[in-house]
Amino acid sequence: MTEFLQATVYGVLQGGLLALVAVGFSLVWGVMNVVNLSHGAFVILGAYVGWMMHDRFGLDPLLGMLVAASVLFVIGYAVQRFLVNLVINGPIFITLLLTFGLSLIIIQAMNVGFTANYRSIHTGYASNSIALGEVHIPLGRLVAFAIAVVVTLLLVALVTRTRTGISILATGMDRGAARLMGIRARHVYALTFGIAAAMAAIAGTMVGTVGTFNPAAAGSYTLLSFVIAVLGGLGNMYGALVGGIVIGLVEAWAGLYLPGTWMNAIAFLVLILVLIARPSGLLGRAFYASRVEV
Amino acid sequence: MNSRSSALVATLAAATLVVAGCGSKGSGGGGGDSDQVVVGASMSLTGSLAREGQLTKEGYQLCQQKVNAQGGIDVGGTKKKLAIKYQDDTSEPDTAAQLVDQFNDKGIQLILSSYGSANTEAQAAVIERNGQVMVDSAGADDSIFQQGYKRTFAVLSPASEYAASIVKAIDELAKPRPKTIAFLSADDGFSKTGAQGGMAAARKAGFSVIPAEYFPEGSTDVSSSLTQVKGQQPDVIIGTVHLEEGVAIIKQAHELGVSPQGFGETVAPPTPDFATTLGKQAEGVLGSSQWTDTTKGSDKFFGDAKQYAADIQKAYGHAPDYHDAEASAACLALVMAIEKAGSTQPDAVRDALAKLDTTSFFGRIKFNSKGQNVYKPMSVIQIQHGKVVTVWPTASAEAKMVWPGNKS
Amino acid sequence: MSQLREGARAEAAVPAPAVQPWWRRLAPWGLLALGVVAMLGLQSQIYTGQERTVSAIFMFIALAQGWNLIGGFTGYASFGQVAFFGIGGYTTAVAMVHWQASFWLSLAVSGVVAAIFGGVIGLPLLRLKGHYFAIATLGVAEGMREVVTNLPRLTGGGAGITIPTVGTKATTTYLGNDGFYWLFLGLAALALAISTLVSRNKFGFALRAINQDEDAAGALGINTTRAKVLAFALSGFVCGLVGAAYAFQQAVIYPARLFDVDITVLMVVMVVIGGAGTVVGPLVGAVALQFLSEYLRQNFTDAHIFILGLIIIVGVVLLPQGFVNYVVEARRTGDWSLLSNVRRYRL
Repeated sequence: MTEFLQATVYGVLQGGLLALVAVGFSLVWGVMNVVNLSHGAFVILGAYVGWMMHDRFGLDPLLGMLVAASVLFVIGYAVQRFLVNLVINGPIFITLLLTFGLSLIIIQAMNVGFTANYRSIHTGYASNSIALGEVHIPLGRLVAFAIAVVVTLLLVALVTRTRTGISILATGMDRGAARLMGIRARHVYALTFGIAAAMAAIAGTMVGTVGTFNPAAAGSYTLLSFVIAVLGGLGNMYGALVGGIVIGLVEAWAGLYLPGTWMNAIAFLVLILVLIARPSGLLGRAFYASRVEV
Repeated sequence: MNSRSSALVATLAAATLVVAGCGSKGSGGGGGDSDQVVVGASMSLTGSLAREGQLTKEGYQLCQQKVNAQGGIDVGGTKKKLAIKYQDDTSEPDTAAQLVDQFNDKGIQLILSSYGSANTEAQAAVIERNGQVMVDSAGADDSIFQQGYKRTFAVLSPASEYAASIVKAIDELAKPRPKTIAFLSADDGFSKTGAQGGMAAARKAGFSVIPAEYFPEGSTDVSSSLTQVKGQQPDVIIGTVHLEEGVAIIKQAHELGVSPQGFGETVAPPTPDFATTLGKQAEGVLGSSQWTDTTKGSDKFFGDAKQYAADIQKAYGHAPDYHDAEASAACLALVMAIEKAGSTQPDAVRDALAKLDTTSFFGRIKFNSKGQNVYKPMSVIQIQHGKVVTVWPTASAEAKMVWPGNKS
Repeated sequence: MSQLREGARAEAAVPAPAVQPWWRRLAPWGLLALGVVAMLGLQSQIYTGQERTVSAIFMFIALAQGWNLIGGFTGYASFGQVAFFGIGGYTTAVAMVHWQASFWLSLAVSGVVAAIFGGVIGLPLLRLKGHYFAIATLGVAEGMREVVTNLPRLTGGGAGITIPTVGTKATTTYLGNDGFYWLFLGLAALALAISTLVSRNKFGFALRAINQDEDAAGALGINTTRAKVLAFALSGFVCGLVGAAYAFQQAVIYPARLFDVDITVLMVVMVVIGGAGTVVGPLVGAVALQFLSEYLRQNFTDAHIFILGLIIIVGVVLLPQGFVNYVVEARRTGDWSLLSNVRRYRL
């Protein structure tokens, strides 16, 4: 029983971290219909910024992640404004290819700039844990989970309470109508991409705080975001959180009760079954017009 | 007709591209007739093994530098410079194998291996077919040596020794003597072979063994394996892993309150990244190493192990890693075999490698009929005060093993 | 998806008269034969290792054609196409290692097994549209890799499986670089032939109709489910054959590579760069991309990935509809300007 509880706690917390990684990916896909294959590279780039802040200036990752988010926001905004916007009206494949090329460039640049050494952001507390009887709750992951929830709530608040957010939503629902209302779609798209990149940077900093990273890890974070975004359902701001926790739990339980490495196979089986039964994901909506909801 | 004519254009363009790009016969060079000895090395410079590939490349580069600093290789009385040609295999075995074929086209028949067992195994098959010769610096999986290959020689100990050496060290030095040992392993061939070797050694030494829990290679979340193992309360946890999984075990064991008397891990602890990444948590972790700077022996190019360590520090600004050393040793074995053969012909070099018996900064090097380095012992190291310290075999130990090792 | 429709529309814009002159009907076959002969001629001009490099180009021509059947013609973007490649490879490895089957038998069986697998998973998955189909197939491929990894007795697990190529255990003599050159050339030619046949007969038009508007296609009396599943199985067949040949060529295979998502991405990149929904597009894309990455790797050891990424980005921005579709459209409209290309999809 202790083992089950421990695995469950860990699975939920791990799920929060995964959700944090995926939430920006889900936003970009939901609003702009862009599958951003360079998302994982943004996560790692954010981790490097957070790491440098800590390594050079001794900045705690909880503050460092704000710096990382700002830096990545600027990069993300520029990438969308001057690159992705050039082909945004094209089919999904085109943006897919473009972001694939972009990820190759970012990863190789990180390889050269930061070397392929494994990095980690040290804190005195991230690896400590709170013991509740036999069950341990790791502090770093708890923080990451809390941040995932806060970021999700902030995102919801942003898109429902602010003018900018509403214009993002509106553009996602119907760009033509949004432009007629005087919304500058180019700017709004760039803003969305920037926000997503900033969230990737926050996720990256947390990944670096509780684990290790190097440029080669980028691909697996993209894949993970893909799975979580679809599992949770696009266009729902809580989708990534739900998808992440589901994946985290499935992996934790399957890892505990199944031999070998069947846990990944089970995670994908769950994904396929969910898709067949509910093609638009656990929380998603089936209609394109109401694709983005809160 | 539009698509038809574009088909023609495309076919012609394709044919021209291929012909132009691949060049015609006779463009190859770098055989034995120039004033250079050209050696081919396919390296994992990008992709998942980029980190280890970079270390391997450092080892090869230092070797080239050292050999050429002494005027080069003495090939039958004339000194020739060593020139290692690098190609990036992007960490993929099929590309690594393809590159060996491409070297062969260019008349480059002496090869230094890529990093990792999968790459090396793919290369060894091609080497055998083409009649080239390869010295293997980092492909340790025993399966490479069970194929009956005659042209691949490995300077390093086989995978089955990695965890076994840690078990032997604990058996000899750990007091109070632990009773149960649990194994955690990544699911790639190299790690699995290592886990099996370790479990066999542990049973032989009379420990009670908790059979290996496997997790996916490259995973950074091993919590469920740890949770399972925790329930059985082992005295020692040994992980047969690579760096990222090794770091994850220590970090997550800490998070989950798994605290055995000690941890042992293959591959990860001796790499400089391990201690810097884990900080204080790395204290006391045992690791197995192909080489340490207390290894006995010396050679004319590198001097002894201490000298080698100083040279790596000077050239690359970090403490030497055994990945550096094994790469340099592979290069050294090849150079010595060429000198002994007095020729760069692959058959002659192969025969010279088969007969090679020499001391070096890497210890004594001599290959058996399978191409494995017979005298090569594994060392066991421990992280003490953030430094990698040799603790076993006791003859070359720098410090006593601290036990229980979970002082952090 | 609309770009794929774009491509299909361009193709459809070329009127397909009921009776074509004989030379137009035979022209593609003549070209194919000519291409094969040219490649055989090329073989005598290159080194054995270059044969291997060119074989890899043939391999990707076949794979890209395979993906194009479902992704290009039908408009269902399979992101798990590598599953067929892996299943083909592992079927051959298991058959040759455990059941001592000859390679040729294993090759045929692999194609069939992959096709059946395509049919079986196609039935539920092809009900999904767009991204959902993409992610579901991706899940299948990733899941298959884990399944293969977790059956070590049969497949060797993560440690890989070795097909014996020498000695008494070898059931078929290793083909060598010459033999694999012919084999992969044959597979590329076969894939091109299948693609040509499909593009010119009723089945192909049914697939294009599905691509443009599936409901309308159904209303026209096309059994869309059957057509889609058949296209998926056919593309599985092609990729399964290629996987089988690849497995024998490598001799040692690992799940990580045989189900590598990068291989799927490469197929998609090649088809899209060349021109989706056409026969020539995937051919051009595969040749160009393979050749380019090989050239860059040999000449820019440290920066080749970086340059490749840049070229892909520039290519996508300037030629978003793919090379072949661009040429076809430009010839029709007389507008060769790349800038108007950029304008089309710009915000």
